[in-house]
Amino acid sequence: MSIRATITTQFEQVAVEQERTLASLADDLKLIDCGLDSLSFAIIVARLEDALGVDPFSSDQAVDFPVTFGDFVRLYERFAK
Amino acid sequence: MRSVIVTGGSRGLGLSIGTRLAAGGLRVIAIARRETPEFSTAAAAVREAGRGALHFRAFDLGETRGIAALVSSLHKEFRPLYGLVNNAGIGTSGVLAIMPDEQIERLIGINVTAPLVLSKYVVRHMMSEHAGRVVNISSIVASTGYHGLSAYSATKAALIGFTRSLAREVGPLGITVNAVAPGFADTEMTAELGEGERDKIMRRSALRRLVGPEDVAGAVEFLLSDQAKNITGTTLTVDAGNTA
Repeated sequence: MSIRATITTQFEQVAVEQERTLASLADDLKLIDCGLDSLSFAIIVARLEDALGVDPFSSDQAVDFPVTFGDFVRLYERFAK
Repeated sequence: MRSVIVTGGSRGLGLSIGTRLAAGGLRVIAIARRETPEFSTAAAAVREAGRGALHFRAFDLGETRGIAALVSSLHKEFRPLYGLVNNAGIGTSGVLAIMPDEQIERLIGINVTAPLVLSKYVVRHMMSEHAGRVVNISSIVASTGYHGLSAYSATKAALIGFTRSLAREVGPLGITVNAVAPGFADTEMTAELGEGERDKIMRRSALRRLVGPEDVAGAVEFLLSDQAKNITGTTLTVDAGNTA
């Protein structure tokens, strides 16, 4: 499964578990408008660490939380290399 | 087998907690700077008993930048991480007016920053499992005063505030967060109290005695058990009635 597909699956799964309505995951979708709360993002980051073996937010490099879904995917693609 | 991390688990109260939890069938990972002969003896006894497990990982919690990698490796080896007991702490005492700034910073680093950062990374894994228990070892001096312990008391009070807010944050995910506030326990940390001081504490306690590490370990075991599933954001005081 590609990194993008893994991330999309996690967004969808966590939205169901947390009973949130997820917006359509286009690259220009602002994460703040995607329907998930900060707790949901914490779960997604933890699960992506399991699935992809990386956690960009605990690296030594300073990383700002991405603004759009496309930024989020690209961040993981960069770290997973 | 459920895995539980116990910081400062190589001696004193941490070792008592780890030994008790292992005897109850949990897989305990004790974290401390170095393994002690007492820990090796206890781990051998647990192996002999054939119930639970007592592992050791050397790590200096003053090195907060290494905590993410530590948790990642513990998760790979011992997943799922069910419990975290933030027990490690230093008990530096001294009158604030002459306490070196470095000592104050070190107290806050080991007693506050380290448990917060460790909790951050461990709780993430608990979140994805929708289960977990965090127990922070505070102290009665978080709510009562004691001469010469102002900096230490500040760190222990910080853990109470941390406990309550984190409990709110992760409660919806089935994770509980509680604190245990021991009174003056009969441990190495209180060994520097003179006989007179110890007698005074005993006389002030409703039960006329000091608490032992086993009393505190029992409280931690309870908070990690299924019986405590509906207890979160609270502080369990174990002080032989010193603050009653």
